[in-house]
Amino acid sequence: MRLYEFEGSELFRQEGLPVPDYAVTASPREARQKAQEMGLPVIIKAQVLAGGRGLAGGVRTAESLEQVEEVVHRILDTPIKGLPVRWVTVAQKVEIEREFYLGVTVDGYSGTPVVILSATGGVSVEEIARAHPEQVASRQVPITKGLSLSEAQQMAQEVGLERGELVQVAATLHTLYNIFRKYDALVTEINPLVRTPKGTYLAVDAKVEVDDASLYRHPDLQVVLEDRILNPLERKGYQIGVTYVDLDGEIGIIASGAGLGMATMDVISQRFRPANFLETGGAITAELLYQVMDLVLQKKGLKGVFINLYGGINPIHEGAKGIVSYIREHKITIPIVAKVLGNRQEETWEILKEQGVRVVTEVATEKGVEQLAHLLEGGK
Amino acid sequence: MSILLSRETRVLVQGITGRVGRVQTKWMLEYGTDIVAGVTPGRGGEEVEGIPVYDTVAEAVVKRGAEASVFFVPPASVKDAVLETIEAGVKLIVIVTERVPIHDVMEIRAYAKDREVQLLGPTSPGIITPGEAKMGIMPGNMFTAGRIGVISRSGTLAYEISADLSVAGLGQSSVVGMGADPVVFTNMPELLELFAKDPDTDLVVIVGEVGGVQEEKSAQFIAQRMTKPVVAYVAGQNAPEGKRMGHAGAIIQGGMGTSQSKVTALRQVGVEVAEYPLQVVELVRQRLILY
Repeated sequence: MRLYEFEGSELFRQEGLPVPDYAVTASPREARQKAQEMGLPVIIKAQVLAGGRGLAGGVRTAESLEQVEEVVHRILDTPIKGLPVRWVTVAQKVEIEREFYLGVTVDGYSGTPVVILSATGGVSVEEIARAHPEQVASRQVPITKGLSLSEAQQMAQEVGLERGELVQVAATLHTLYNIFRKYDALVTEINPLVRTPKGTYLAVDAKVEVDDASLYRHPDLQVVLEDRILNPLERKGYQIGVTYVDLDGEIGIIASGAGLGMATMDVISQRFRPANFLETGGAITAELLYQVMDLVLQKKGLKGVFINLYGGINPIHEGAKGIVSYIREHKITIPIVAKVLGNRQEETWEILKEQGVRVVTEVATEKGVEQLAHLLEGGK
Repeated sequence: MSILLSRETRVLVQGITGRVGRVQTKWMLEYGTDIVAGVTPGRGGEEVEGIPVYDTVAEAVVKRGAEASVFFVPPASVKDAVLETIEAGVKLIVIVTERVPIHDVMEIRAYAKDREVQLLGPTSPGIITPGEAKMGIMPGNMFTAGRIGVISRSGTLAYEISADLSVAGLGQSSVVGMGADPVVFTNMPELLELFAKDPDTDLVVIVGEVGGVQEEKSAQFIAQRMTKPVVAYVAGQNAPEGKRMGHAGAIIQGGMGTSQSKVTALRQVGVEVAEYPLQVVELVRQRLILY
């Protein structure tokens, strides 16, 4: 789960990293008032969970109070990468003498945290690594040992920092690593860390992503995952406990596994366009599949549904009961093809057939999709 | 005997008294798995499907000779339970549990590093050696015994492709679900290496999906060290950027982790990559004739 920048900044502040003063608001008028209190010029930033916000016009400087109102209006009215902007932050413009990049992330393949430090910040670290590899240091951290302050200082030295700068940047990196560990983060990143002409250091941006699977042990984060899923169908999916990804097509997909769901999309895309990706996970019940049917059939312009389930951990005979009761109660008439295999498959097939679902008993998803195509072309 | 698991392997079920643990124990026993014990702390002395339950893994190892363990333990308890299991000397651990915190996975991996233990998962459907034994949740009727090794990041897609192979008369030596999280305990090349050494495997099928670099790293391994033919399928050709496709690890981010990148890497080192699942069967047949 990505945190909004202001949430990340708040977390940094709590953990002792200096951040600029800022205010969060959804009102141009309030933004003006805050800007007046802080003093001009101010930086206004869209709060949105998408990268590349600067390039998309989501970060602006305002020199006058009129301009503050105008800019906030414009930012709130302009979606970024399709996402509505619900808040902006207003912050006093920081004078920049030097910028650094600091990041901690997970190297999935080695299974370790990776710490990255760059003597140049404010642009993408990949670019710096390409153009000036000597300015970037990175290291895998043995997780049971952690990153010591002296190791952070060595990294600062590697990228050419000296004296007070070495000490300050290394201390920030050390804290950033500890925040990464404390909050079960997948990413903690400051780009840029700014040194001001007064010699103070400020984290001007905050990127934090927390592992969804760990949220149960972070009640202190007080963030609601559901609130940040902006697509209503995807939010409904989250509420009922499945993964739903909204797509552009006309064939609904219900699959009992992620890989199977993606493969089903691949096969359907050879002839049609998938309307969604849906993966039930391993906790199928009659009730869950009833809700899943309700979710998938909400999509506009749906022409057919393909159900692809395996009974490994899942009781598919129970799932089938939910599917048929939905079809019966809502008098669904678009073609529904089900390929359902595994433990108790024969019993499951009988339940589905009775309600007019076309049951495919062959293994290959391709055969099932052929059946669906046949029905959509008016075949029996 | 294929890899990791045979009918002689003495298997422990952790979390055996839970709803899923009970049902899956029954299916595993019916399949022929030699389950010797179960563990649920506080439930020692009970029985599930005739299998004795112990409070600790150490007891199960000492009293029943358990040497492999399959986990149906809740995510928050996985880390402690795995460390206990490694300490007790178990050599193969399969974590079926989904949603284990990634930091816990990293800690377990660090702990297991210099010890002689093979871990699979998390979010693994398990491992099956068809006709002999299975540890995990794979439905047994999808698999037949034979000489094709299968490594899959996905559970259900491993079932489908194995069943496609079975229908075509191409049985499997072992089918391994490596798990679908961003960090897994055992990377794909290590499993390729096990199959390369296995005298009962002629060819390996990789079932990949979007996200991460497992397939790209496998391509490097194949170029340098793989001694047997490999066929692959990578799910998610049409997965949109920035969306987690059901698995925590199945996400394309900043243009990284696309199926295209994986397919290209694999093809460059001579791996035949199927466009759709069923085509795996055709490619396996062709490669077996050539080989």
